[in-house]
Amino acid sequence: MHDRLTRYLLLVPALVIVLGTTLWPLVSAVTTSFRNWRLKRSPVPQGWVGFDNYVFGFEEPEFWNALKVTFVFVTLDVLIAVAVSLGLALLLRRAGVLQSLTRAVLILPFAMSPALIGVSFRFMFNGEYGVLAKGIGWLIPPLADVIWLASPGYAMAALILSDVWHWFPYLTLIFLGGLAAVPVETEEAALIDGATPWQTVLLVVLPQIKGVIAVALILKTIFALKMFDSVQTLTGAGPGITTQTLAHYVYTIGFVHYDMGHASALAVVLTALLVGIGMFYTRLVMPPKAVAR
Amino acid sequence: MNARSPLASAAQSAVLLLFFGMIVFPIAWMVLTAFKLPRDVHSLSLNFSPTVQNFGIVFEAPWNIGLRIVNSVVVAFFTLAIAIPAAILSAYSFSRFEFAFKRGLFFLMLATQFIPAVVIILPFYLMFRDLGLLDSRTGLVIVNLAIVTPFAVWMLKGYFDAVPIECDEAALIDGASRMAIIWRVIVPMALPGVIVASVFCFILTWNEFIFALILTRDKAVTLQVGLVSFRTERGDLWELMAAAGVFITVPAFIAAVAIQKHFEAGLTGGAVK
Repeated sequence: MHDRLTRYLLLVPALVIVLGTTLWPLVSAVTTSFRNWRLKRSPVPQGWVGFDNYVFGFEEPEFWNALKVTFVFVTLDVLIAVAVSLGLALLLRRAGVLQSLTRAVLILPFAMSPALIGVSFRFMFNGEYGVLAKGIGWLIPPLADVIWLASPGYAMAALILSDVWHWFPYLTLIFLGGLAAVPVETEEAALIDGATPWQTVLLVVLPQIKGVIAVALILKTIFALKMFDSVQTLTGAGPGITTQTLAHYVYTIGFVHYDMGHASALAVVLTALLVGIGMFYTRLVMPPKAVAR
Repeated sequence: MNARSPLASAAQSAVLLLFFGMIVFPIAWMVLTAFKLPRDVHSLSLNFSPTVQNFGIVFEAPWNIGLRIVNSVVVAFFTLAIAIPAAILSAYSFSRFEFAFKRGLFFLMLATQFIPAVVIILPFYLMFRDLGLLDSRTGLVIVNLAIVTPFAVWMLKGYFDAVPIECDEAALIDGASRMAIIWRVIVPMALPGVIVASVFCFILTWNEFIFALILTRDKAVTLQVGLVSFRTERGDLWELMAAAGVFITVPAFIAAVAIQKHFEAGLTGGAVK
């Protein structure tokens, strides 16, 4: 059977692409992280410096700032996005005009580019003429005088809002897919047995889609940890560096300061963090056999 | 849950309406802004005289959005033209064969998605600098393969798994080669899935920002990075950004709406059955 060989040959093109475009850069970044290489001073790497880039990297207050910003952003962003989309998915289960109207637009924000979303929200949160800034000020008068993107806490709120807007409709679609597989009988039985609608949802419906909720949590967390595009176009990491995520910090060291050694060390730390959290999470919420049959 | 008070169902309708508004409003506001004259941009009033001049201005120097559109289209096309066939072959192998380290390899494909784009770009930036591939569409295609290929393999395997193996066996008995089976049996049978995966990858590539931001300066600048150029010394030219935004958004929306029905199955299909 020449199939014995075929099964491997078929894998070659995709494997070459994936290894060449993701694993090679990672290995290369690890190597560079042990060298002194400032592009502004030298076009080629200079010397091996051991763990200096890491030691130096951990001493920088900007690193800890970025770590903190990323942690705050990921926690709030994931919780809000997943909670909102679960709630909306539960509302959308039934048939109705409003339901189908809302379902029809769920895909749109996800198809929009994060860079463009950042630009749009920067326009809408403008202190002088931003429609969202004005609208929120009208609804909640104490916030009327807030210059959103110039105040640290509010800039973070704007960043989270823009990312939640990008993701919650898509997560809702994922949850709707999960909810469609929940047999109506289980819900009816619970209601007949005297459970309140809230109890039914929390204790009967949600447990049946916990696999889907797990996937949504993993997906959203990974993407939130990599957050860069709308940081760049919405807040520019500001004011100051109060919304600078780790990915944006690596970018700044690498492509604003052109310190390749330092940037590579940070990149390796960021990857380790992502892989660590990703693996931990995946193991925690998904049995290994579900990943690949 | 049929016996519900009218108050509860009115509240539910209000909440749904609010959600609908929240989703649509930022898009609508961008589209409106694209039709505004510079003097109307800072006004929140809907009472303005609409113009289409912004859609013309963005094609003139120095914005040259025509070139940006060509760049975005060429990069997306070649990225898909390489990634999708490669992904079809390996997704078939993952779907139909057993081999050593199969689960490990498949998981490795997925795990590469944990690597942030900024990590991938560092070594490529240095390599492209040496090869003269900075500010080139070729360079962009190469790095875009990194984000697209693993997703395509993952999604396609899910769709191929759904094609009964009897189809392969019947074709094998008829003397077909594996290549013929893949391209003439499996791909046609799983065609909706192949289209969904391709559209999904198109949206990923089309919306890609950080690679193009770092790798391009002038002649290979894509639509996404072109947005940044509307921040000038004269301030932000919001109406032009919005017009460019419409050009960015329309193809992605068309693609997304076309496959909407299958979309949710797409991203989780490989993991959750």
